[in-house]
Amino acid sequence: MATNVYAYKCRRCGKVHYPYRTICKKCGENDHNEFDIVPLAKKGKLITYTHLYTLPADYETKALTLGIVELEDGNRITAQLNIQEPQIGMNVVGKVDVVRQDEYTKYLGMVFEKT
Amino acid sequence: MREVYVAGIGITSFTRLEYPLVEIAAYPGLMALRDSGIKKIDHLYVANMGSCRINHQSGLASAVVDHMSLTPAGAETIENGPASGGSAIKQGYMAVASGLHDVVMVIGAERMREVNSLDATDFVATLTHPHAEYIYGITLPSLAGMFTRLYMEKYGVTSRHLAMVAVKNQANAMDNFYAHIQQEITIEGILDSPEALTNNPYVADPLRFFDCCPVSDGGACVILATKDVLKKLEKPMIKLSGVGQATDSHAIHERKEPTDLLAVREAARQSFEMAGIKPRDVDVAELHDAFTILEIVESEEVGFFKKGEGHIALEKGVTKIGGELPINPSGGLKARGHPVGATGVAQAHEIVLQLRGEAEKRQVKNAKIGFTCNLGGFGNNVICLTFVKEEN
Ligand SMILES: [Zn+2]
Repeated sequence: MATNVYAYKCRRCGKVHYPYRTICKKCGENDHNEFDIVPLAKKGKLITYTHLYTLPADYETKALTLGIVELEDGNRITAQLNIQEPQIGMNVVGKVDVVRQDEYTKYLGMVFEKT
Repeated sequence: MREVYVAGIGITSFTRLEYPLVEIAAYPGLMALRDSGIKKIDHLYVANMGSCRINHQSGLASAVVDHMSLTPAGAETIENGPASGGSAIKQGYMAVASGLHDVVMVIGAERMREVNSLDATDFVATLTHPHAEYIYGITLPSLAGMFTRLYMEKYGVTSRHLAMVAVKNQANAMDNFYAHIQQEITIEGILDSPEALTNNPYVADPLRFFDCCPVSDGGACVILATKDVLKKLEKPMIKLSGVGQATDSHAIHERKEPTDLLAVREAARQSFEMAGIKPRDVDVAELHDAFTILEIVESEEVGFFKKGEGHIALEKGVTKIGGELPINPSGGLKARGHPVGATGVAQAHEIVLQLRGEAEKRQVKNAKIGFTCNLGGFGNNVICLTFVKEEN
């Protein structure tokens, strides 16, 4: 199983994008595939979160805790949280796990826990 | 460019409708034809987000134009998420302003309740970023929940402020025959009483049931035409004076300041500049309150109030009917309902009623300038319209 979520670093200006985009938002670099694939950092700070109680059909749990994390490398990621009582500003660490599953596919993404 | 006016309007009840999508679109069209006295149109735009996925029907505008026996007029379906209605009005505006057409019908229609609420929520969640948001179980309510928590932390908005929006808009909707939610609520009932947790459960905390708009079916129509056409109709001269549109990043986490809705700010700026007015000249506004927090934030971003002070204006009653700047006299998305593709057109419908002085019990006195803000996604595609009443 994959152990990283990847971001896209512009070869011209160094700006890191997550998720992928075709043209660099900072310098406008638009030669096809002029991005290096780099792993996102795993550690960061929680900037906001919610407990979602009306879940999409693919989930069998009663609630899902979701949040946005500002990572040590300066990028942000939206992800799931495996944290009982999240707090804005708390330190978290992520690992790649199954975040959604339907009949055909297991989707992998980042799940954060308390450090 | 030519000036563009609203010649006629129509709307269905926003609720669960037990008839086909094509008729949900055609009925307000018929009302608008009768309202205007117009019998023939040059072009039809139909705003809709979900017909392929929910109603198993593509090419909606072609079906509607024939159903209404308006062929051979041109027809197009416009899909721009929950901002489809605003987009279709913008297309209609451009067609008339450019000189291409003299009379254009713009309909917004959606039939979401043909599927169950799980499917409807998933349908709306397809607006989110497929790889960076959707796979995690992110839905629109969860984006709104995370946004609200940040807004509370930063600007001192509380659950009580959110409840005040819900109470105000549901009270307004009591005087709107077409509104989905016909239920008066109190802060006591949804926040303070021992039953509040049952009456008003959390959906995506801090957002609760009464902070979210319902899933509705419904349709609305405006007919746009040139000044020459209007003069022959002897209708009130309601001019579409300003059109603005802007976009923002798809994934919310990529926004520099996640509490800003920059596309709202920019679309409103363009709309006001084109109309040649200032935000505080507006007499009545319909804002996109899919979640209560959004009414507060948009009232700031469009320039009615300073950033972070929308909830203070709300507290003071500025945005009530009878206040200085009434917002969502129709009940808004919160209480009129939110059939996604129809909403932008329904907003314009309400503003035209208000400027004509035909809004009955919910009439804003002496309303001469009206404004709408229609959001696609969670603020990543926004259309703002400014309407001005001219003396005949
Ligand atoms: Zn670059």
